Amino acid sequence: MTFRTTFIGLTMAAAIASPALAEYPERTIELTIPAGAGGGTDTSARKLAILLEEMLGTSIAILNVGGGGGSVGASQFMQAKPDGYSLFATWNSPLTTVPQVQNVAYSLDSFTPIASTSETAYTLCVKADFPATTGEEFLAELEANPGKYTYGNDGIGGTMQLAAERIFQARGIDAVAIPFGGAGETLQNFLGGHVDIYGGSISTVLPYVENGEAKCPLVTSAADVPALPGAAGLESLGLGDKETLLWRAILGPKGLDPEIVTMLADTIEKAVNEPSYVEFLKTKGEVPNVVKGDALGERLQSEYDGLAEVSKALGL
Amino acid sequence: MDFYLNALGSVLSAAPLLAMVGATLLGVFIGALPGLNPVMAIALLLPLTYSMDPLVALGMVAGIYNGSMYGGAIPAILLRIPGTPASIATTFDGFPMADKGEAAKALKIACWSSAVGGIASALALMTMGPLLARVTLFFGPAEYFWIAIFGMASVGVMVGSDPVKGVMAAVLGLLIGTIGIDNLSGQARFTFDQTWLLGGLDLIVVLVGLYALPPVLQLAEKCDLKGLSADQLKLTNVPFAPGEKRGLIPTWLRSSGIGIGVGILPGAGGNIAAFLSYNAARNASDDPDSFGRGNPQGVAAAECGNNADNAASMIPALSLGIPGNVVAALVLSALTIHGLQPGPQLFHQNPVLVGGFMMEMLITSILIFALGGAVATRVFAQFQRLPGVLLVPSILILMCVGVYVINGRPVDLWVMLAAGIAGYFLEKVNVPLAPIILGMILGPMAEQSVRRALLISRGDATELLTRPISALLAVMTILVIVWPVAKAMRRRKRQRQS
Amino acid sequence: MEKRQDIALGLIFVLVGLAAAWMASRYSGASGTYPMTLGLILTFLGGTVAARAVRAGQDKARQLVAAPSKFITTAVIAAVYVAAVIPFGFYTASLMLMLVLPVALGFRQWIYAVIVAVIFIAVVYLVFSVLLEKPLPREAIPPLLGLGG
Repeated sequence: MTFRTTFIGLTMAAAIASPALAEYPERTIELTIPAGAGGGTDTSARKLAILLEEMLGTSIAILNVGGGGGSVGASQFMQAKPDGYSLFATWNSPLTTVPQVQNVAYSLDSFTPIASTSETAYTLCVKADFPATTGEEFLAELEANPGKYTYGNDGIGGTMQLAAERIFQARGIDAVAIPFGGAGETLQNFLGGHVDIYGGSISTVLPYVENGEAKCPLVTSAADVPALPGAAGLESLGLGDKETLLWRAILGPKGLDPEIVTMLADTIEKAVNEPSYVEFLKTKGEVPNVVKGDALGERLQSEYDGLAEVSKALGL
Repeated sequence: MDFYLNALGSVLSAAPLLAMVGATLLGVFIGALPGLNPVMAIALLLPLTYSMDPLVALGMVAGIYNGSMYGGAIPAILLRIPGTPASIATTFDGFPMADKGEAAKALKIACWSSAVGGIASALALMTMGPLLARVTLFFGPAEYFWIAIFGMASVGVMVGSDPVKGVMAAVLGLLIGTIGIDNLSGQARFTFDQTWLLGGLDLIVVLVGLYALPPVLQLAEKCDLKGLSADQLKLTNVPFAPGEKRGLIPTWLRSSGIGIGVGILPGAGGNIAAFLSYNAARNASDDPDSFGRGNPQGVAAAECGNNADNAASMIPALSLGIPGNVVAALVLSALTIHGLQPGPQLFHQNPVLVGGFMMEMLITSILIFALGGAVATRVFAQFQRLPGVLLVPSILILMCVGVYVINGRPVDLWVMLAAGIAGYFLEKVNVPLAPIILGMILGPMAEQSVRRALLISRGDATELLTRPISALLAVMTILVIVWPVAKAMRRRKRQRQS
Repeated sequence: MEKRQDIALGLIFVLVGLAAAWMASRYSGASGTYPMTLGLILTFLGGTVAARAVRAGQDKARQLVAAPSKFITTAVIAAVYVAAVIPFGFYTASLMLMLVLPVALGFRQWIYAVIVAVIFIAVVYLVFSVLLEKPLPREAIPPLLGLGG
């Protein structure tokens, strides 16, 4: 492999025509997902894999390795060979949030960023009879009643809690975090009145906003979200710099050939922007968002640093 | 009614029907092979729904799901190897029946019971779905805690001859259940700095080792070089004796109720349903001591209970958008791919698709009647014609491939081997294995729920008892423990008098 | 026999329980209480089993392993198989297991064993690699022979 790439480097400047790329991919690509089957990351990755299979002309085998908030899958994937036949489809938490609360064997350097695919915001929602409707009223109500309200979130290592605490910290709010196993479980406890505030992904709670059972005062993105017209973006609350998003990306193991990275990143960009995929993302309240290669590495690093600050302040 | 008639029209065409038949057969195979689970197959099918007629794809999901729950009973009866965690309770009476030469009868009862449970569950889904879904919302962390404790109380029936060792096994299971990252605090427990342990020990890996390896080792020790002849197999169709079916009806009703009740609670699941049904059947019996020694009622209760959980587990998923287990989550994501939004309006968005899927859950349950028995006797039982020494490596390979593909990591194979060797010796010294698995299933549920409940109540433990449903569950737990004891004492008294 | 086995069993559980309780005592807050309690209960139960065995009058025979040589042969070959799966590849190792284990257990009908092995491996291949497309440990030998990859 090294001989071949050096040889190419010597003989050809144009990467497109290189034999390494001409051969790649020639067998099945294994795609590791650090979460169980059926979740948000899993569904998005499987749908994307079908498009990629077609474009790359090879089959993609999917391996779900759940547990530890994604750290088990990430640690396992870290040991894969950087030959382009092992890829990792993840959301941001295992890389940027989980290392803040767990001792993990990997760091951002253990991976080669290829491309991000889509993103969405988290939301905080309350029952229709909650004494606040707008984002400003909501934060004021929480501020006036320290320790009174409970909010459900995705559990330790999930980014949701950090996203909420970033906002609460800025306002000096004290609300009780109740960690659940995922957005579905949070919704169940929120609808049943066991927790006061729903914290989690937008698509899960959306039907209940539409039928009037719930209302969402704010989202954790800087801008407003079209799917939730009543929810305030953080910019409008003067908290624009406290934005926390949920986003998904595909990475390779450390030391992946840059030519393969470029080729994969371009293919992923094409696949993500296919109308059928954009439409699919819309049903989940997500939008396509492709950041490629080194730019993605920078994005990961800056998010990691930002969250490190919050979690230090929280004493997690 | 029109709702289902419309849906029925589209379900009863060639492609969905064929898909259902094929998938039910496939499901029985998947369930019957230890380590292979329906989630794997359904996750694989899911992407096909993008390009396929959704009713065909969902028909396959329904078939695999229902078929596999029954399929788990086949090795449970023939080899005492449960194909799925939900069929552990089937081994209690299924294998002793096979040992007595009643394998065919046990398989037939398992087949009928699975079908009955599945049908009851599908009917509940079709008629009371939205209503039952709202009931699940009353169950908060405090109630989940009591459900776990209630399930744990059923350990009483599986402790065997030595209660101290039985409870010891259960506590070991609870302890194994704490391995990994604690979801509430992020604390890594008993992980010995091994990253693969952060997610805890996989239930299936331990189950396959603990349950499948000891029978394999015993088979090797027996060193059978010939295999059974066709005559020895005696797997001809045994008809039910007159009145036998009627005798099973109360068990079927009870187990269906339990399976549906547990099924509608997200996160509880079929594994618990089978144990609870088995326990209830034993408590209701006039002769509880016959359980564990080849009582057909035990097989009926366990199999009916685990299939009755299936369609019911779709209730919170379809009515509320809350997936109760992985299969439900996969079905939900299949529906979103077709532009449906899971939640209270789902039924109105696409009645043909949602109603059709419910019909398919019903039809595939009925298909078990027709297909289940044939698969069990024509295919699986034939394996016993192979010499035992050839069966040993074959089962070993199936165990390894099943365990490996769960997480794709070699270390799981060693975990399985270690669990198997431990299981072999534990059994020899009268430590029952089922409580270990039960502890692994219920421990995390009990611990996380109680800690969540205490977070919500700000540390006030009385709230675990003052909420109406919690209180009711607590009383039921006490009854489940006291009832068999009281009954046994009464019986002894009567014997003394006579 | 039974007496000695139960004492050993009880003591093993005492040790496991104590080790677990000791480790859990260092875990932060509520996450340590529960496993620590479990560890202590396990210690108590293990102690009960051992103490009961000590006090028990009669000592019945209880066989741990029915056929030790076959048991050890099978366990060792199974362990070697698990170790061989990664370096040799899943199918190569499985085929070897199908041929070696029956012979080690005294099976002499070679052709029968080979036929069953080939059919069985083919079925496993069809189900897992073709139908389910599950990644399994890669084969070491076919690529060496130049048979694709």
